[in-house]
Amino acid sequence: MKNKVLKKVLYQIFAVLLMVFLLLPIYQMVITALRPANLPWKSPMPLIPEKITLSNFVTAFDIVPRLPRYLLNSFIYGIGVSVISLLVAIPAGYALARYNFRLRKPIMIFVIYANMFAPIMLLVPIYVIMKKFGLINTYLSVILSGSIFTIPLSTWLVTSYMQTIPKGIEEAALIDGCSDYSVITKIVLPMISPAMVSVFIYAFVTGWSQQFILALTLIKTDTLMPITQGLYQFFTRSSVRWNELMAAILMSTLVPVTMFLLVQRYIVKGLTSGSVKE
Amino acid sequence: MRKSTPYVLTLPLIAAFLIFLLYPLYKVFMDSFYQASFLNPFYRKFVGLDNYKWLFTFKLFNPKMSYFLSAFWKSLVWVSGSVGIKVVLGVLGASLLNSRYLAGKKVYRTLVIIPWAIPWAMASMMWAWTLNSEFGVVNSILMNLHIVNRPVTFLSYPTTAFLTTMVVDAWMGLPFMIIMILSGLQTIPESLYEAATIDGAGDVKKFFYITIPMIKPVLLTVTLLSTVWTFNSFDIIWILTQGGPMSATETLPVAIYKVAFLMIRFGGIGKASAMTIFQVAVVTLISVFYIRTLRKGAEL
Repeated sequence: MKNKVLKKVLYQIFAVLLMVFLLLPIYQMVITALRPANLPWKSPMPLIPEKITLSNFVTAFDIVPRLPRYLLNSFIYGIGVSVISLLVAIPAGYALARYNFRLRKPIMIFVIYANMFAPIMLLVPIYVIMKKFGLINTYLSVILSGSIFTIPLSTWLVTSYMQTIPKGIEEAALIDGCSDYSVITKIVLPMISPAMVSVFIYAFVTGWSQQFILALTLIKTDTLMPITQGLYQFFTRSSVRWNELMAAILMSTLVPVTMFLLVQRYIVKGLTSGSVKE
Repeated sequence: MRKSTPYVLTLPLIAAFLIFLLYPLYKVFMDSFYQASFLNPFYRKFVGLDNYKWLFTFKLFNPKMSYFLSAFWKSLVWVSGSVGIKVVLGVLGASLLNSRYLAGKKVYRTLVIIPWAIPWAMASMMWAWTLNSEFGVVNSILMNLHIVNRPVTFLSYPTTAFLTTMVVDAWMGLPFMIIMILSGLQTIPESLYEAATIDGAGDVKKFFYITIPMIKPVLLTVTLLSTVWTFNSFDIIWILTQGGPMSATETLPVAIYKVAFLMIRFGGIGKASAMTIFQVAVVTLISVFYIRTLRKGAEL
């Protein structure tokens, strides 16, 4: 009995320690964003802010006036990447789940392999190709090259979702004289809307902010930079405007973080299908 | 059903792979035999294996090892360390969040995901500030607990910078690890543990003889996935240290970027491509293992 109580207390302590590690920078972000910028820094920094203000959220836009522009750019990158991912992943995912054709296995294996690729591995040729086509410093360069890294998992998510839906309805429609392609638009698309939503959000969040290195290499014009690069404007030559920077990060991550939390379950399911049997 | 339908449907996917994945890969391979630089786009000269020779002879800072080998070596150590932390803390964390002795599991399970959702570039900026020697929370805690007397400047010394970036990377990958392992733990039938209790097995024995063998397939999959992701990791190091101090944190991805885009005088496309070949080779090797483990578990 005593043993059990001890265990409960001990485990609670471990769990709190784990949370401290995981939430530490988030805590620092929040207290810095809320701390008045004119308050002199103290070392060591007090763990609970002495005063709280919301003014940093306003002054952030004065220090970096282009902040809304950067957010808009990120939004464009996110939408572009997710639209291309959906356009490629839906038909491919459907075909891989429903048709038994000769290239099916090789394609599936290549999809998994492609999912292992990161921008750094193709950065040099991507830069050369984009330069050749005069696409450096365009939205299109980041969107096209970004999509290739989200297409594999997107396809995989659609395929594994399709496999959980029984074929019956589609077969009935085919017997009734529906063509292969109208089955997709009239019957399959409405059925797989949950998979489409998770693909959309996964690709959007990735294009929105995860492809730091692509924009770093392909975008040189200030007005086309995504928010991840725009935030560098808070680093001036003499100092860093930490209060406003943290306020800006807090504002700009709120939406994608929430979106990601909503679909993370589907992403986990897609990635583990096969290794976790449910 | 017409025979052509699946090919029409997968055509965009195949085209995307051909144009943006296989062609660039082919290009990396070809460029690794040429001398070229972004300085002069018209200059391009076949140099055979010279770029590969350069990889093993060009030295910078480290008199014992070539620039490339030292970056490759740093990558190996950095990845092993980070993945090691992720696996150990992942298994322990997931077991903790699965334990029936822990109250408030639902809250913890939600909180655990949050770092995963924060874009890496922004998380790195947050960490840069959190680790700040004078005003960062890490130092406040260390000073308040009297673990250190003077603030630690984590990112100014080669060894501490190397370890710090490693821990930050582990921080970013840990939530994914915990969530995945947790999903594996939840499939273990309770009856196994009950039977072991009747046989008189303690917690440690149960952990090594039931938990670990039962989650082995998931553990293997996520470890391989995480190894590839960590091996490709760029944002964290770039934002925290840009490879410094004294190239202490110049892992292979950072070195590739520098050789291609910054060291224009003595680097260039060809040399960066030759380095990329090794990056691709490692990722391909791990992918082969990964695909094999997946195939064992499912009909692929």
